[in-house]
Amino acid sequence: MVRYVSGRLLAMALTLFIIVTISFAMLRLMPGNIFENPDIPQVVREALNAKYHLDKPIMVQYGYFLRGVLADGDWGTSIVLQPTKPVFDILWQRIPVSMHLNIVSLLISLPLGMLFGILAALGRNRAPDHAISFAVVMCISIPSFVFAAVMQYFLCFRLGWFPIIYRANQVGWEYLRQIVMPVLALSFGPIAATTRFLRGELIETLSSEFMMLARTKGLTHFHATVRHALRNSLVPMVNSIVGMFVGVLTGSLVIERIFAIPGVGGIMLQAINALDHPVTIAALIFYSLVSLLSILIVDLLYGVVDPRIRMGSRR
Amino acid sequence: MVGRELISLDYAKVALESEAVLEVKNLSLSFRTHGGIVQAVRHISFDLQKGETLAIVGESGSGKSVTTKAIMGILPGNASIDTGEILYGGLNLVQLKEAEYHKIRGKRIGLIFQDPLSALNPLMRIGDQITEVLYLALKMPSRQAKERALELMTAVGIPDAEQRFYQYPFQFSGGMRQRIVIAIAIASDPEILICDEPTTALDVTVQARILELINNIKRERNLSVIFITHDLGVVANMADRVAVMYAGKIVEIGTSEDIFLTPEHPYTWALLGSIPDLDSPKERLLSIPGTPPNMIYPPVGDAFALRNPYAMKIDAVAEPPMFQVSPTHYAATWRLHPKAPPTQMPEVLQARISRMKAGA
Repeated sequence: MVRYVSGRLLAMALTLFIIVTISFAMLRLMPGNIFENPDIPQVVREALNAKYHLDKPIMVQYGYFLRGVLADGDWGTSIVLQPTKPVFDILWQRIPVSMHLNIVSLLISLPLGMLFGILAALGRNRAPDHAISFAVVMCISIPSFVFAAVMQYFLCFRLGWFPIIYRANQVGWEYLRQIVMPVLALSFGPIAATTRFLRGELIETLSSEFMMLARTKGLTHFHATVRHALRNSLVPMVNSIVGMFVGVLTGSLVIERIFAIPGVGGIMLQAINALDHPVTIAALIFYSLVSLLSILIVDLLYGVVDPRIRMGSRR
Repeated sequence: MVGRELISLDYAKVALESEAVLEVKNLSLSFRTHGGIVQAVRHISFDLQKGETLAIVGESGSGKSVTTKAIMGILPGNASIDTGEILYGGLNLVQLKEAEYHKIRGKRIGLIFQDPLSALNPLMRIGDQITEVLYLALKMPSRQAKERALELMTAVGIPDAEQRFYQYPFQFSGGMRQRIVIAIAIASDPEILICDEPTTALDVTVQARILELINNIKRERNLSVIFITHDLGVVANMADRVAVMYAGKIVEIGTSEDIFLTPEHPYTWALLGSIPDLDSPKERLLSIPGTPPNMIYPPVGDAFALRNPYAMKIDAVAEPPMFQVSPTHYAATWRLHPKAPPTQMPEVLQARISRMKAGA
């Protein structure tokens, strides 16, 4: 187990390194440089380029960047958005906001999606299933930012039920009220994905032989469904959590922007547009790290829920 | 041909001296499919006597498995029972509601599946799969349920039951899994055991042991067994009586001796003629030409007529009733009609039967 996890961590580090390398190269190859401003005198521009090592070849720049991060924990400073402020501090303030939003959204999506999936599977090919499946198709095909914009207009602007934009430093009731809209907008997709996935899995296990055996051995329909069908169809769900978590994260890139939420997603978009590369790359690393970690956690969870995987190596 | 006489479709009960534990009367059931309505079982009647093994044989699609599913009340959603009744202990199972049926399933009638590899829940410990019915349905305290499960596991021949109790199905071989399925089927002491091709998915050496196990359990617990198979070799070892099904009907029913030594229906001849055996001189096995009829449009008359070299004109016009051959033996073929021209079974089969008689 320890060997497995350390092997996985090593592979993760390698993956992360590759991601960082590629994104660093891509960012530096993007056209444009904030110091290419005719208003800045030549001398100042050269001094700035020298300060941020922009006058060196890209390999050397990458070397400086890696040494800063690995040796000194120095992620560089923001150049445009909040000049001279360390990137690490900028992100550190924003990560809790984003993570909070994402986790709340997942905590809502999973049970709701499971509930709808079970209802659809049990009422297969009847009215509830058709209604749920229709809603699922809608929610999967309409992007979250459309929901966000529509809800923001009707529920926040026209009806005034919720605040239109997010305000920092709110607590208690006011805080809950302002995250309702973004969380909902983030949740439609995952709810729909969970519903669809669980419906398919459950229908398959419901018609499985062991389900038949459970019934012929004399269990009631309810017991057989809960103990055999439901339990077994939840196992592959574990795997889809990764996809959902990453999906929610990327969804929040846009949603945070719509509701002016001071999270990682919002700052990353701003940084890309403003060519504030140190911030962009730090945000990218954050997203990659979260994705990789969630994949690892889910793989470990898989072993916990499925004995065939847990004991596979010992056999 | 002795005792030849025409009797009604709802033919008389087998005149054995025991009582019937299960009676199927005039059962018909059909499936709604995209292609149309498939008449899977058409007006079949049989009974199961206390302590006997009744084998139902027939090729794929003849309706044998569906019949057992109807008895267990586990027909798929697109199936419907059109006529007939299934009588068990004064109840007509056809009319039983789902809420009541689980009192019959497992507790009164147990079922052994064809494929033990997929019949066990892969994520549940073997022990839990045996005990869950004991404590969920029979409200047995869990310690007692475990003891009973261990007894059952030992009874079906699983060594180290105590240790195996906590293992998962993937740690068991096919034969061992089938033993577990058998243990589950007999866990709540049913009176009737239905075996739906229990050895088809197993390899030959394991087959023999599982059959022996089923026979032992049947004797020890005085079970009545319905044994579904398409393997006549298995039937010969297991069955007291045999029902031959073709195209959703029982075409011949009788004791094992009746069916193996004096078969009357040309379809039974064809089935028996197609068994390979070691003693046969260089003879070709008989095969049955053609394919079974499409049961969305069941043929008029005798369903087997098109594949039957002995078919007569009337076979294409009217369905043959059950003729009584002896008090225990019935067959649905116009051959047995008093006015039918005499026909002889194929020589290959005749030769084989005389060898069997000589050997026996």
